[in-house]
Amino acid sequence: MSDTTHGPDRKERNAWFEADARLKRRHLADKRLRAYGIAAIVFALGMLATLVGTILITAAPAVTQTMVTFEVEVPEGSVDPANPSGGSYQTMLNASIARIFPDVDTPRELRELRQLFSNGGQYQLRDKILADPSLIGKTVSISFPMSDIGDQLHKGVIDRNLPPDFRRVNDTQIAWYDVLVERGQISSPLNWGLLFNADSRFPELAGLRGALVGSFFALLVCFLVSFPVGIAAAVYLEEFAPKNRLTDLIEVNINNLAAVPSIVFGLLGLAVFLNFFGMPRSAPIVGGLVLSLMTLPTIIIATRAALKAVPPSIREAAIGVGASKMQTVGHHVLPLAMPGILTGTIIGLAQALGETAPLLLIGMNAFITAAPDSMFNPSTALPTQIYIWADSPERGFTSRTSAAIIVLLGFLVCMNAIAIYMRKRFERRW
Amino acid sequence: MSAGHEAKISAAGVSVFYGEKQALFDVSIDIPARQVMAFIGPSGCGKSTFLRCINRMNDTIDICRVTGTIAIDGADIYDPKIDPVLLRARVGMVFQKPNPFPKSIYDNIAYGPRIHGVAKAGSQMDEIVETSLRRAGLWNEVKDRLREPGTGLSGGQQQRLCIARAIAVNPDVILMDEPCSALDPIATAKVEELIDELRERYTIVIVTHSMQQAARVSQKAAFFHLGNLIEVDDTERMFTNPRDQRTQDYITGRFG
Repeated sequence: MSDTTHGPDRKERNAWFEADARLKRRHLADKRLRAYGIAAIVFALGMLATLVGTILITAAPAVTQTMVTFEVEVPEGSVDPANPSGGSYQTMLNASIARIFPDVDTPRELRELRQLFSNGGQYQLRDKILADPSLIGKTVSISFPMSDIGDQLHKGVIDRNLPPDFRRVNDTQIAWYDVLVERGQISSPLNWGLLFNADSRFPELAGLRGALVGSFFALLVCFLVSFPVGIAAAVYLEEFAPKNRLTDLIEVNINNLAAVPSIVFGLLGLAVFLNFFGMPRSAPIVGGLVLSLMTLPTIIIATRAALKAVPPSIREAAIGVGASKMQTVGHHVLPLAMPGILTGTIIGLAQALGETAPLLLIGMNAFITAAPDSMFNPSTALPTQIYIWADSPERGFTSRTSAAIIVLLGFLVCMNAIAIYMRKRFERRW
Repeated sequence: MSAGHEAKISAAGVSVFYGEKQALFDVSIDIPARQVMAFIGPSGCGKSTFLRCINRMNDTIDICRVTGTIAIDGADIYDPKIDPVLLRARVGMVFQKPNPFPKSIYDNIAYGPRIHGVAKAGSQMDEIVETSLRRAGLWNEVKDRLREPGTGLSGGQQQRLCIARAIAVNPDVILMDEPCSALDPIATAKVEELIDELRERYTIVIVTHSMQQAARVSQKAAFFHLGNLIEVDDTERMFTNPRDQRTQDYITGRFG
């Protein structure tokens, strides 16, 4: 009886808090939705991990380069001190190789022996003598890369337990290699050549220098063209242009331009820059111009968004104290929008750095063995270099392709990190 | 019109159109010098629109069109020979929401004099900054942190900073568009006190939604309704004895 005097009875009161079936279903749906979301993220992260993991595993052999060290005698009189580059260094190198393997004398065996070593050895010897002519008449120790098959044999990529017909080195070559290992002439230091050598047909000598310099020049041109033009266009459209059909049409077209497939820009570059203006083929300047066509819409859209995000009260304040339109934009709106503009620009440039298709069409996938001196010299770029290497049959290029992809990804991550940092650093302060 | 005060601003037949829509109908009014004139009326009645005609802020809106004449000291400000940039230096404006530049307190004040070439950087500019801040009653609060950002001040201080910024270019007229609507009562009281002091030097036009504020700070009041100017009178008389029924209804809270 006392329950009734203190309000609704116990059962009735508890009913307030009991979840009925409908509410339970709602909570269940809530949980399900969250589970879907988590599953999607796990799936995406898994894919990313697989991708990066595969690249890392494939690239691992390219981290080191197998080198062989030889003591080479440079006899007095074999090199003309007045003209040291004319010496026959391959002969000297061959002589010192023959000294270790005296019983190799048939031409066929000699050829097979030399197949183990890169042909870069003689140039290294020459460079050493050129740098220090006093070495003539002495014994010089040089360390140079083993050839692709020697490298792969050392790294275990070529399985020596396979029958001879199934591997690219024969039993005698393996025996010679073992002798060299026993004599301590084989070493595997870090593969700096990958970053500092120019391209080569031989994987053991091939490096990314040409591609890095080419990409740098192309991005420089891209930035110099698209940044000022993009900002000028965006400021005019956002702040000064009258709102009418023509500006609407321009706006729609800029947005569409951002979605045009990049290969179309490549065709445009081929037709306009190469064929009409006759600019040099394969040159970073043309690559940069084509990339800037692609980057422009990105920068214009990012700049307009950044300008729009500046509160109108700031414009009113400036106009209210008598600033002209130009002063309002130049002194207040543009500086406040700058972090957003720079973020958009960096993201646009990162996009341009990874772009391959337009560069293929203007010939930046040529085989070029020297890094460009200027933006007018033929060159490759990072993504096209990856494309070339991925297409090469030598076993050593497999790991180098992956290593080059890591270099490219590294640059992209750095650029995006800078963009994020700037966005955080200069976040809206009004 | 009470005697002894010449008209500083006189508007005749001012109409404002936003595209096809007419926002203000044939407004004629004389605003006396060195007094505070309050514009009151319900939302959307055109009082802010008219205020923004006085320094041609409406020019920045593409579709806005103004007809009629507004003269300051007898000179038509819509004359093609008048540069709106110079006009806005003579007719300062304070906005509804405090909007200091995201720069230092010093630079906020110095920006106007700098772009108008009134003073060069240095002691001359320091003097202008100090005078402006003193007149805005802010000097003692900020004199030790002139290099700190103006956006770091409290709302009321920011609004007084904006008033100081308007004063710095040495205007004749100061327009205030609901300057206290974003402030708390204490900050409002300070700004109102300041408006009362500024009346000695400047002609002030203030738009306000608060009847009490209009009664406290203004000597003259103008009541707008649906784009029409209904009544202009001494504030005291309008609040005690309005001539028009609509004014009476608005003041007593029947609509608005």
